[in-house]
Amino acid sequence: MFHTVSASGFYVMERWQPPRGRRGRGRGSYSSSSSSRSNDSRPSKASNYATTTSKTTSLGSFGINNKQHNNDVESLPNLIGTCPFMCPVDERVQRERLRDLAIFERLEGNPTKSSSTLAVKKFCRTISTKDIRDVDMRPVHVLEDTLNYLLTIFESGKHPFEVVHDFIFDRTRSIRQDLSMQSITSGDQAVHMFERIIEFHIVSHYKLRRNTTDSNVSPMHHLNLEQLTKALASLYHLYDENRKSNPGYANEPKFYSFYVLLHLGSDHQPTGESLSLWFRTLPYSIAKSKEMMFSRRLLRYFRFGNYKRFLHTTEAEASRLQYYIIEPYVSEIRATGLSCLNYGGYKQHPYPLSDLSKHLFLDESDVESFCKDCGLETFTSDTGTKFMPTKQTSFCHPKGSRKHYPLVSKRLKPFYDEVPYRI
Amino acid sequence: MASYMSMGEAHRRITEYLNRFADVVAYQDGTSLKHLLSLSSESSSFLALADALNLFQDANRLIRQADKYSQYAEIVAPLFRAMQSYRVGRLAESYQAFEKSANAFIQEFRNWESAWALEALYVVVYEIRVLAERADRELASNGKTPEKLKAAGSFLMKVFGVLAGKGPKRVGALYVTCQLFKVYFKLGTVHLCRSVIRSIETARIFDFEEFPVRDKVTYMYYTGRLEVLNENFSAADHKLSYALTHCDPQSEANIRMILKYLVPVKLSIGILPKRSLLEKYNLIEYNDIVLAMKRGDLRLLRHALEEHEDRFLRSGVYLVLEKLELQVYQRLVKKIYIIQKQKDPSKAHQIKLEVIVKALKWLEMEMDLDEVECIMSILIYKNLVKGYFAHKSKVAVLSKQDPFPKLNGKPINS
Repeated sequence: MFHTVSASGFYVMERWQPPRGRRGRGRGSYSSSSSSRSNDSRPSKASNYATTTSKTTSLGSFGINNKQHNNDVESLPNLIGTCPFMCPVDERVQRERLRDLAIFERLEGNPTKSSSTLAVKKFCRTISTKDIRDVDMRPVHVLEDTLNYLLTIFESGKHPFEVVHDFIFDRTRSIRQDLSMQSITSGDQAVHMFERIIEFHIVSHYKLRRNTTDSNVSPMHHLNLEQLTKALASLYHLYDENRKSNPGYANEPKFYSFYVLLHLGSDHQPTGESLSLWFRTLPYSIAKSKEMMFSRRLLRYFRFGNYKRFLHTTEAEASRLQYYIIEPYVSEIRATGLSCLNYGGYKQHPYPLSDLSKHLFLDESDVESFCKDCGLETFTSDTGTKFMPTKQTSFCHPKGSRKHYPLVSKRLKPFYDEVPYRI
Repeated sequence: MASYMSMGEAHRRITEYLNRFADVVAYQDGTSLKHLLSLSSESSSFLALADALNLFQDANRLIRQADKYSQYAEIVAPLFRAMQSYRVGRLAESYQAFEKSANAFIQEFRNWESAWALEALYVVVYEIRVLAERADRELASNGKTPEKLKAAGSFLMKVFGVLAGKGPKRVGALYVTCQLFKVYFKLGTVHLCRSVIRSIETARIFDFEEFPVRDKVTYMYYTGRLEVLNENFSAADHKLSYALTHCDPQSEANIRMILKYLVPVKLSIGILPKRSLLEKYNLIEYNDIVLAMKRGDLRLLRHALEEHEDRFLRSGVYLVLEKLELQVYQRLVKKIYIIQKQKDPSKAHQIKLEVIVKALKWLEMEMDLDEVECIMSILIYKNLVKGYFAHKSKVAVLSKQDPFPKLNGKPINS
């Protein structure tokens, strides 16, 4: 047995177990928190994932700042889970009885029967901390195995995407809840789990948007974005907590860059947390990292309206996950670019669509319909060349997500052909 | 411990303090009261008193000895403990005790009809913040979670509530607000400023003009900074300028703090400070930026941003300064126009995009014709340049009248 000290200052006993078989990314035995904390006799409030200090994020209306106590994450300093299964036995039995089993949890399709290898603990919104038993909580290694299992389902692609997403969305939220309630804030496992869950949310962020046929972004997409930002905030909190004992995780720059990219757009509301505020507390080494410099450059280009550099840089340098976040802004900056060209262009020189295709990284066959989406007319000359007349007064930003015009790029093509991505 | 003190002397010092405290309250002498509460001032009398307390050890017995001051036991007993802890460098403990004392003080303050003790309240509020900051530093250095400043914030909100009433005490609310701003900025929980701002600006009991000037300046400084963080340049200009005009002209440090944020705001609306101003207040980090704007020198702007990157990021003005790029482009194109005008006034308003490419190359910036066209179209769209660009002939044609409109103190429309 060895002792680790939880964030609240209590000594906490963890059972050492030999490394288990399916470990996903191959984590060995537990890493204990290397910082020694003195035994504080007064129970101080354990660190709480949702109540972040410097890294509160708020994407427009999501405002996950500390004003409201987040029901997801009440924590109990002493709680150590002992549930050895992906789903606590009592919950599984109850849900079997109530026929509350997701498709993935049904044994041979039977809506009333599951098993310990299929059932996964659900997220519970109204959990009263008094009633938590340690047999209902999954310890870290079980949570890791659960996450591995869930992500295998996510990659398998046998069911309609929205069905898969819904299941993974809920079950990973439950994982995050179990982590918070046990105040697991130190150690590589928690960080790694959050990173993988965030990657799931980013892939869903992209796929849900592409799959939606109605012009309004679906509520599922909105909720996914909300959890994505919450998980990011928790991750940054973990990074901060571990910074004292750790030189820094390898993935930090990547995951910080996601935040900047999520905030590219002009839908940033003045009452939300500003990027300037966020940058204030960012460690300088992170701000200067390759991934952050990339996203900062994109931010500069976007705010300037420089569609050329924005699109070119994205095409040349964006990683898959970065692209998934950037993609909605591709449409926005193309529209802005079109608007400027339309506004300032000489009336006698209608703009060739072939040039627009080049500038805006649009497929030539798509330019016409994109112009139409922006309320702009095009015409074909006697020679068969297509043009967009300038000084039109009917420009408008394309509403919702009508048609998707991927960035014309050999490099990025595999990303939007939905080649499965191993998280 | 300072020089040797006898038990007798310790006894004397403590009872002297207790008597003074009771007298001062009885006579409603706010000015004197505040001196009795100011721990962090570390005046010699305080240090001596703290030594006396640590020596005597049983101050509570003394407090109980006379009705005259035992009625203030709830305030004084924890205050004494705070002093003792402070003296031996246990700051987290000191904060804890001081908060208890402050709490009791607030209860009494509530009952006092007039606002005689407002100055003393200010001191208590100030001490709460300062002690909390020091306590957190101590906690952090011992590897514990710093949580006292957060607690101080909650406490100050309570105090704010006590002052937010109809009586004469309400003029103290702005001071407490400013202390709260300082707490929130330090913690990074800047969004919490919103609720107290709302109270000050919308509650009918408050009339902004009634507050002391010093507090109004501080208030406008912080709310101005919030506007800068949110890039609301008109509002930021208004608030920070207010702070500047009403600030004590002797207080160079405060003026510098205001200017640190006001300069980027003014730059954003096209108003450039004189070099002498920047040098007087040691804001030389803005020198090159101003120069870049005057010259239309993009390379210099980028260089200046990089040189002071960390500092600009920390103060939250980096993104504001980055935006100045637009104006620098405008200036560059204007310079080309001026040069052309000197050569051939009749053709000056036509600028070949090629020429702009060349100018940028000279500044060591590689840009192709398409990107220059992109930039020109943006400048035109945002009304920084009046005219149009001819795509086929790759020429920008400027309006003959006022081709480079000045911003005139208005931010560039997005």
